[in-house]
Amino acid sequence: MDFAIDYILIPLIKIGVIFGALSLVIAYLTFLERKVIAFMQVRLGPMRVGPYGLLQPIADGVKLMLKEDIVPSQADRWIFTLAPIITLIPAFIVFAVIPFGPSFTILGKEVALYVTDLNIGVLYVLSISSVGILGIILGGWASNSKYPLLGALRSAAQMVSYEVALGFSIMGVLMISGSLSLVDIVNGQKASGIWNVFLQPLGFILFFICGVAENNRAPFDLPEAESELVAGFHTEYSGFRFSLFFLAEYAAMIVISSMAVTFFWGGWLPPFPNLLGFIWDQLPPVLAALSGVFWFSLKVLIFLYMYLWFRASWPRYRYDQLMQVGWRYLMPIAIGNVIITAIVILLLERMGVIA
Amino acid sequence: MKVKRPDLSLLKKIFLVDLIKGLLLTFSYQKPSANYTEQYPKERPKVAERFRGAPRLNNDPVTGETLCIACNLCALACPEHCIEVGWERDKAGKKALTTYIFDMSRCMFCGLCEDACPTPCLELTQEFELSLYGRRDMKLDRQTLEQGVQPLVYTK
Amino acid sequence: MSTNETLFDASEITVSMGPQHPSTHGVLQVKLKLDGERVIDAQCVIGYLHRGVEKLGEVQTYGQFVPTLDRMDYIAAVSNCVGYCETIEKLLGATVPQRAQYIRVIMTELNRIASHLLWLGTHALDIGAMTVFLYAFREREEILKIFENYCGARLTTHMFRIGGAQYELYEGFEDQVREFLRTFPKHVDEYETLLTENRIWIGRTRGVGTISAKDAIDVGLTGPSLRGSGVAWDLRKAKPYSAYPDFEFDIPVGETGDTYDRYMVRIEEMRQSARIVAQAVEKIPDGPIMAKLSKIIKPPVGDIYHSIEAPKGELGYYIVSDGSTTAYRARVRPPSFVNLQALRQMVVGHMVADVVAVIGTLDIVLGEIDR
Repeated sequence: MDFAIDYILIPLIKIGVIFGALSLVIAYLTFLERKVIAFMQVRLGPMRVGPYGLLQPIADGVKLMLKEDIVPSQADRWIFTLAPIITLIPAFIVFAVIPFGPSFTILGKEVALYVTDLNIGVLYVLSISSVGILGIILGGWASNSKYPLLGALRSAAQMVSYEVALGFSIMGVLMISGSLSLVDIVNGQKASGIWNVFLQPLGFILFFICGVAENNRAPFDLPEAESELVAGFHTEYSGFRFSLFFLAEYAAMIVISSMAVTFFWGGWLPPFPNLLGFIWDQLPPVLAALSGVFWFSLKVLIFLYMYLWFRASWPRYRYDQLMQVGWRYLMPIAIGNVIITAIVILLLERMGVIA
Repeated sequence: MKVKRPDLSLLKKIFLVDLIKGLLLTFSYQKPSANYTEQYPKERPKVAERFRGAPRLNNDPVTGETLCIACNLCALACPEHCIEVGWERDKAGKKALTTYIFDMSRCMFCGLCEDACPTPCLELTQEFELSLYGRRDMKLDRQTLEQGVQPLVYTK
Repeated sequence: MSTNETLFDASEITVSMGPQHPSTHGVLQVKLKLDGERVIDAQCVIGYLHRGVEKLGEVQTYGQFVPTLDRMDYIAAVSNCVGYCETIEKLLGATVPQRAQYIRVIMTELNRIASHLLWLGTHALDIGAMTVFLYAFREREEILKIFENYCGARLTTHMFRIGGAQYELYEGFEDQVREFLRTFPKHVDEYETLLTENRIWIGRTRGVGTISAKDAIDVGLTGPSLRGSGVAWDLRKAKPYSAYPDFEFDIPVGETGDTYDRYMVRIEEMRQSARIVAQAVEKIPDGPIMAKLSKIIKPPVGDIYHSIEAPKGELGYYIVSDGSTTAYRARVRPPSFVNLQALRQMVVGHMVADVVAVIGTLDIVLGEIDR
């Protein structure tokens, strides 16, 4: 019985909660995007559905569900159907390892605010999140149309180039924390009393730039550059299938933001864990855990805002320039960052500052 | 005069000054006072006094009779030939207006008919909500023109 | 997918860009031959918006033809109107009162600013900077409000008649224009903050769509597209018409003739136009606004060519009169049509994304190309 509760019931509840919350967050992220960009562009954004347009995401959802689902006659029907699903699933299952808050004990049971603490969490996140690209490539190819094909090609090239720099940029953090588990990385930041971003500022900037590029968001939104490729890889998609791509893109944004928060900004830790940590230590454990969720969400929200802010402010890179930025600037800088971090850690160990 | 062609200095390049300047500008525009939107059906836009909208045939405010003298100048002035004036001569041999058809589906609101009208009869009003359900409805007859095109009232 | 094997076993694909494409500025179709992302050949297909404007000029009387012309370059309707009215006035030998000339200059220059603002917005949007579009439209809105107050229409204005202006200036006109001129330079600086020094913008525009001065003249480019290549040819200075000799302004020219230079030329032109408007508003003379012409315009038998500097380049009218109330032949030399001919040599060898940038930089309006 205990086995059933520990390994089936609790994880299922957690998965359900995360899935539900994520869907809602994504729906309102689209609303946030439209509102934030509208305000930056001296507009109001959606205003007609509900007060201040607050019910707009629901109206959008209903519209997407009811729309005709068109499959082009020359398309590869099976792959065309499969592609959005292949993109969506990895984007969601990545959340299994992301720690939203610390673990706490309630009714004699230890409950953790994450589905699982995988000891190779970082590898899991990186590998699973790059599976999503497969769906984009397949979708672009299966549409049997030229613009989606070009979009898919761009997407493939972009992902490959930025995946490398993304991996290198978090290497510094991994060296500092000495673990691949996301929970350990956060706990390491709690123990050292300082967020990793202050130790690895360059690493953070590189990570975030690569993350934006990984998500196909502005200014790296080439695969779906609407002014060049009409809509890129999802030109031929409509209705519900299109909304799956849409969901996946926004889920991936949340993944990258969560990773940035976990690796560099102390995950669920409140600000100044070394100075003000005692305040949170005195809270009852349940409340402390929930406040962890609050801090985590707040930080993720700030990063999501950054995504929208970039989109409103900057033009779009060209395909070859994107490659240049990736290979000629980000890669070498990331490698340099790894080398410098390694040297500094080695020196500090030699001098006996750290163990 | 030659236009500028500024180059970014290395320092500016490294510290992303150009990109951050753009970010700050868009950020500063988020204040509600900068908003420029006019929420159209809720807020009525104020059109200019000289606005060229739906046509109207004015009646004499005292007698209530039409000011039109059936001179046909508006029909001649119209580049799209969308005006048809019908008249008959009364016993004194004077022209009197009988029918007046204004095909609004072809009107381009150039205002030449208004210019041509020797009396203050034909006037392009400030009414701008001209959508109708059918093409046939757009042929306005004399009665509609004298009453003026009635706007659709939006409640929301 | 139609693929043709080429000599080196590489396959090229033909992509039809437009006429329903978000950034071909209307219904332009460009048939692109691509090698991967690189453009091997580009062919423009036009005619989707053909409405027979020139033929209408042979049916409608001289006065009736004016509002039809507004529908050609609908972004700069005032220029079309002024160009045609001046052509007919030249044919008639009529002199337009000075006050009407000044009103025409103010309105044309405001329209030039509006046209360049729309160009800037859409061009930036094509390259991905979506916010400039809405900022530019905000200022354009102010100009359109002035138009609406003056003549009662915002876009297809039908503002002037042959022989002068139909409408007298409204009360508060000077104040409204001054208020616009006060805020406008600040807003131009804002666009420049977002674009001019932005590394992405520089990357996307410098060295893209370069055309040398000689090639530009050979193709027949006019307007800002020509001046971007460094040729200081502006009909307002070269062959002054209307009241332009009275005003001080500079002709901005570029150096290399790439998209960035043309961008800077147009930005500077907006400032110069604002300068002209400011001068004109201060010294606008009193007097009549309409020349004394007969109601029915019947020019003498003969033909005439007259051209003005429209926002997009040289806008010329060739009118053959047979002495009746309608023209025997009305021919328009549209700047967009001629400028579009440079597209092929500007995009070949570049990437797909640059095609969009070049279409934007040429500042074409399909209403004018197809007529």
